[in-house]
Amino acid sequence: MKEGFQVREDYWGGDLGSGEKKAVRQQLFKGNEYWFWLGTEVERAKISVHIYDSDGKLAEEPDGWEKGHFAAAHVIPKTTGSYFVIVNVEESPEERTHWALVYGFR
Amino acid sequence: MTPFTKYLKLITIAAGGLTLCVHGAQVPQRIDIKQLSKTVEDVVVPLPNEIFGALNKLGTVNWKEHVRNDKGTNFTERPRIALLLGTVIADGFIAVQAEDAPTVKEIGQRVLALAKGIGVGNSITPHAKAIIEAADKRNWDSVRQELDRTQNSVQQAMNEVHDEKLSQLVSLGGWLRGTEVLTSVVSKHFSVDGAELLHQPDLLSYFQARLQAMPEFNLPILREIGDALLQVKPLIEAIIDECLGKSPLARKFSAGSDCRTAIDGCRLGR
Repeated sequence: MKEGFQVREDYWGGDLGSGEKKAVRQQLFKGNEYWFWLGTEVERAKISVHIYDSDGKLAEEPDGWEKGHFAAAHVIPKTTGSYFVIVNVEESPEERTHWALVYGFR
Repeated sequence: MTPFTKYLKLITIAAGGLTLCVHGAQVPQRIDIKQLSKTVEDVVVPLPNEIFGALNKLGTVNWKEHVRNDKGTNFTERPRIALLLGTVIADGFIAVQAEDAPTVKEIGQRVLALAKGIGVGNSITPHAKAIIEAADKRNWDSVRQELDRTQNSVQQAMNEVHDEKLSQLVSLGGWLRGTEVLTSVVSKHFSVDGAELLHQPDLLSYFQARLQAMPEFNLPILREIGDALLQVKPLIEAIIDECLGKSPLARKFSAGSDCRTAIDGCRLGR
C-alpha cells in the first residue's frame, strides 16, 4: 500500500459510550513503524487514538491526527514490547458508538 | 471485511502521512497502567511478517535456510490442524521472504487442504488461488496480502461458528513458527537488537491463558506447548533484564524450537 505499509486485514472493534475509553494491548517490534487508524460511522462523533508504552508513557510520534469521526496515531517503537492502544470516544450523539481500528506496519 | 472497514482502509490511504488536524485537546503524557491493566481485554497477536520485517532491518537474513516445504503429518484432530494451519501460513510468509515461488504455491495448496480439514475450505479457496497466481507473477506484496487475508478468513469463519478456540490456535501456530525463526536467526547472528525482538511477555501470558482455557481438547501437544511457554517466559525475561552474552542465549533459544517440534507431534527435547 501507500509508502510500503502493509495494512493488516483484520480489524478490532467494539462500542463505547460517550466519554468512554478502551485499551487494546499490542506487541510492537523495534525496527518497525506503525500507523493505527480509528473510525466510526457516527459522523458527528469525536474520537481519538493514542499509544502508550508498558510504563504508561505516551509513545507516539507528533504527526497523529484527529478529524471528526476518524483519527490516527503513528508510532516508531524505541523498544520491542507491549504497548497500549487507547481508543476514546470523546463525544458522540449516540448512546453507544461503534468503532473499528486497523493498523499498518512497515 | 465489512464495507465500513473497507471505507476505513480508504481513509487510511487518503490521509496517511498527512497532518490534517493536530490533536486538539492536550494528550495526557502518562496514564495509569496498573489501573488500565485491569480493564484490557483485547490482545493483538502480530502477524509473523511483523517479526520478519523487523529482523530484515537488522541485517541480511538467509531466508532460504528457513523455508520448509515438507508436507508434514496429516492430523485428524481439529485443534492440531488449526495449529498446523497457523504454522503453514507463517511458512508462506517465510517463503515470500526467500522469494521462493514454487514453495509459496505448494503452501497455497497445503493451506487449502488444511482449511478443508477443519471445515472452512470454502472461505479459503479464492485466497489459495490468489496466492498461487501472485506467486507465479512474483508479486510478493500480493502474496503477503493474500496470506494475511487467508489467516483472517479462516479465523472469521471459525468465529462465525463459535470455534473461537480453534481460531486462537491458528494464531498460536503462526506465532510459534515466527518465534522459532526469530530465535534461530538471532542464535546464529546474535545482536542485542535481535534478542530484544523476543520481548513479548504479554503474548506469552495470553497464549498460556488461552491454552489453559481449552481443557476440553485434551491433547498432549497442547499441554506440551503450554509447559514450554511456561519454561520460556522466565528465560526471556532474563534475556531482557540482564546483560546478554551469546552462549547463555543459545541455551535459552532451544526452548523456542521445543514448541515448534511439539506442533508436529515430535517429542520435546529431541
